[in-house]
Amino acid sequence: MEYTADRSGDTLRVKISGVLTFDDHERFKSIVNLIAKGEESEITLDLGQIKMIDSAGIGMLLLANDKAVKESKKLNLTGVTGHVAKVIELSKVDQIIPIS
Amino acid sequence: MSANPKPVAGDASAPIQANDARVLIVDDLRSSRMLIGSVLKAAGFTNLDYAVDGLDALERFRDNEPDVVVLDIVMPRMDGFEVCHEIRNTLKSDVPILIQSGVQEGNQRVRAFDEGASDLVSKPINAAELVSRLRLHIERRRMIDRLQRYQHRMEEELHAAESMQMSLLKTPEELAELTAPRGAEVEAFYRASHKLGGDLWEAFEVDEDRFGLLMFDLSGHGVNAAINAFRLHMLINSYKKLRKDPAAWLAQVSNDLYRMLPVEHFSTGFYGIFDRRDRTLTYAGAGAPTPVLIRGDEAIELDGSGVIMGCLPSAEYETRSIQLQPCDQLCLYSDALYEDFDDPTQSLEVGDLVGHIRTGLEQREAAGFADALVRSILGHFPDSMPDDLTILRLEVK
Repeated sequence: MEYTADRSGDTLRVKISGVLTFDDHERFKSIVNLIAKGEESEITLDLGQIKMIDSAGIGMLLLANDKAVKESKKLNLTGVTGHVAKVIELSKVDQIIPIS
Repeated sequence: MSANPKPVAGDASAPIQANDARVLIVDDLRSSRMLIGSVLKAAGFTNLDYAVDGLDALERFRDNEPDVVVLDIVMPRMDGFEVCHEIRNTLKSDVPILIQSGVQEGNQRVRAFDEGASDLVSKPINAAELVSRLRLHIERRRMIDRLQRYQHRMEEELHAAESMQMSLLKTPEELAELTAPRGAEVEAFYRASHKLGGDLWEAFEVDEDRFGLLMFDLSGHGVNAAINAFRLHMLINSYKKLRKDPAAWLAQVSNDLYRMLPVEHFSTGFYGIFDRRDRTLTYAGAGAPTPVLIRGDEAIELDGSGVIMGCLPSAEYETRSIQLQPCDQLCLYSDALYEDFDDPTQSLEVGDLVGHIRTGLEQREAAGFADALVRSILGHFPDSMPDDLTILRLEVK
């Protein structure tokens, strides 16, 4: 997994690429920290460049969302396509995290 | 109570003491033996043994294996190289062996290592060097022993836990006893990726005409997932009244998981009820990999979707239903069957799986459906898998 973060106005946009699996747990923590410590109240996780996601990867998205909610911020997922879209459709993650 | 309790085996925090190590000193010259002995005694070593030549050394070694050997090379009857060779190759011991060698004897030094020596100490003896090297090797050896004991203990505990987890699962006989009178046959396969796993399947009675079949895949694998699987198993056997209603039952279990699991953990699930009276399967899914129904030449994909369990305080599911026919084969599986994270392009779509499922059904006589299915996909049955794998087959009679 790789990611880039850019801030514009009140939105923090994090683009994640590669494969999001159990092994990325440590690196994903830095994204969670960005969400918790940043000034922005809106967070967009762009999953458009993720090739594949496993259950631990979904868990990380849940963790990021939980962090945002606890900090009274809004998190949403974008760029949901390919394998990620299939997993999210099957597991109805849209009922837990807003998807735009 | 002792003020200094003896460290127990596997206690990784206990300090390593070298002074009580049993040292076998092998030298044909009495004066050399006495010199080494007195150096070691002065350094605090208390457990010394002496051998006067190679054969004597091996005899003493066999009687009472030392913790470390200090070995001379040139000796009558059997030289140091041969002793070293015997200890390694015949006695199969990896005890540290320190060979005494003069600095100018280059060939000897190389040969000493070839024969299995752990280290060299200079001859004539340098007291400080001898003691330092001895301590180093004793401590290293004891550290390895300790890690090996620890590893062995962990393996035994994992093995015991694995047996416990396997004992939660119904045997083929128990399955037959439940499903045969209810007009179906169920074959189940489960294997954890690392002894313990987070997959769980179960089948139970709903009433005399119906049985329930369920499958869960908890996020993650290994010990964490297994502990959650044990907790989940306890939940499964509660709520007997809700068993008739797949959506309500999944919702209840999900709500319990929501309170039980950390935020990043969840489970996918499938729960179906087969009714022999009208051969219907009533089911609900929670992110379950698409169940595949094989009916003659037809392949029907069931809808296993639904919000993953344990993520919402009050989850809702949809009960779906499908009319089955005699000889229908329903296949349920965990995602380990089709996902390939090392090479995402190798991951299979449901459509790709159908052909393999057919092959699995055709060739299941040999070693079961799961074995034939995995062989069809991978070309062989692997010794280990990257994720927990569960495969269930339900055949309508």
